[in-house]
Amino acid sequence: MPDETTLEGWAPEIGGGLTLAEVVERAFDYRGNVTVVRTDGAEVEGYLFNRAREVPAPFVQMYDRNGDGPLTILYAEIRAIRFTGKDMAAGNSYAAWLRARDAAKTTSGAPPAAGA
Amino acid sequence: MSVPLSQMWAVASYVLGQRLRGRRRYPLVLMLEPLFRCNLACAGCGKIQYPPQILRKHLSVEQCLAAVEECGAPMVSIPGGEPLMYPEIGRLVRELVLRRKYVYLCTNALLLGQKLAEGLFEPSRYLSFSVHMDGLREEHDEAVCRAGVWDDAVAGIREALRRGFRVTTNTTLFEGANPLRMREFFDAMMDLGVEGMMISPGYSYSKAPDQEHFLRRRRAHELFARMLANPSRRWKFNQSPLFLQFLMGKQDFECTPWGNPTYNMFGWQRPCYLLQEGYASSFAELMETTRWEQYGRRSGNEKCRDCMVHCGYEPTAVHHAFASWRGLRDTVVATVTGRL
Repeated sequence: MPDETTLEGWAPEIGGGLTLAEVVERAFDYRGNVTVVRTDGAEVEGYLFNRAREVPAPFVQMYDRNGDGPLTILYAEIRAIRFTGKDMAAGNSYAAWLRARDAAKTTSGAPPAAGA
Repeated sequence: MSVPLSQMWAVASYVLGQRLRGRRRYPLVLMLEPLFRCNLACAGCGKIQYPPQILRKHLSVEQCLAAVEECGAPMVSIPGGEPLMYPEIGRLVRELVLRRKYVYLCTNALLLGQKLAEGLFEPSRYLSFSVHMDGLREEHDEAVCRAGVWDDAVAGIREALRRGFRVTTNTTLFEGANPLRMREFFDAMMDLGVEGMMISPGYSYSKAPDQEHFLRRRRAHELFARMLANPSRRWKFNQSPLFLQFLMGKQDFECTPWGNPTYNMFGWQRPCYLLQEGYASSFAELMETTRWEQYGRRSGNEKCRDCMVHCGYEPTAVHHAFASWRGLRDTVVATVTGRL
């Protein structure tokens, strides 16, 4: 994913053209932790790895920050989702690695580690 | 073809059994991912970009074995992540061998020498180390984004072979691959003494750092046609010759996305090893509730348009070999003559 398209830090307002289902889809596609705010105000931060939309009671599934889970949360219980964790698929582009590799070759002759 | 006769027979009898039962959709290879953690971060890999708590987690052996039983496929491929980093890899492999599953342990081999020295594995016709090798030294080290990995992998292969293990290689090819260098690579792997090689074009994972170097279909056909033209008699491939012909543009296959179902800590991945469109809680749910008609080239799904990856098309090739006399004839001729 190109760095400029990362959703890291995004805190969308649900309503006004953006539905909960759309935000859930973005969260499902996001390779970082998100914070799910429940309708009762409680918050769960973790990795949202699954969602089921086309079932009688749509739900998401998460592992929390400690890796515990899976937790199942109904769409009906979600007030908001914030993209609070680091996007693990961003900021590590192949182009950046090539640039770093070329720079390293001119100095030491050894390629850098990925993500450098 | 380098697949041992016993394995060929196991697969053939399984496929024929499925066909006799009238099962239209059946799995051939379970892709079992016990963990996502890896000791490399390759540019073309979309498998390991997860938050730390996910990378620390792994399946239990019991979860793995339950998935194997539930799926029923005769072959189990263990990718990851790096499976040699899985704390119970020795016990998992022993249990799978006891169940007479043909196991392909897909590894970058950085830890292979150490794990063999620890006595974690015993040679078996059911166990093959499938070592990730994306070309000769220069190409491989560039693909895995670290210098010295090719040399470590070769050392691991040598040690495994010395100890009597089955060793194959698996190679993913991207845009810019040089057919002549790849032919040199095939020679080099045969010189090393591996049992066979597996090759496939890469898949453009949306999460992979490298989005610019994935092969499009026409280019892939050109590349593989040049690479595999007049193949050396020495080259042994641990895969269906019809799949190789498909890569060369000589066979027109459709994807079989259920052929290599994937199980990991999130559940049964829909619809295939490459796309992550959700998870089912059981294998039966995966098979019954996935909208298979939405996948494959003919579906018009953009994500499937250029995909030619082995996990979708090798099951098609195997099925094709048993679906018609022509398919069987083509397979036998290519196997016996070595011509593609």
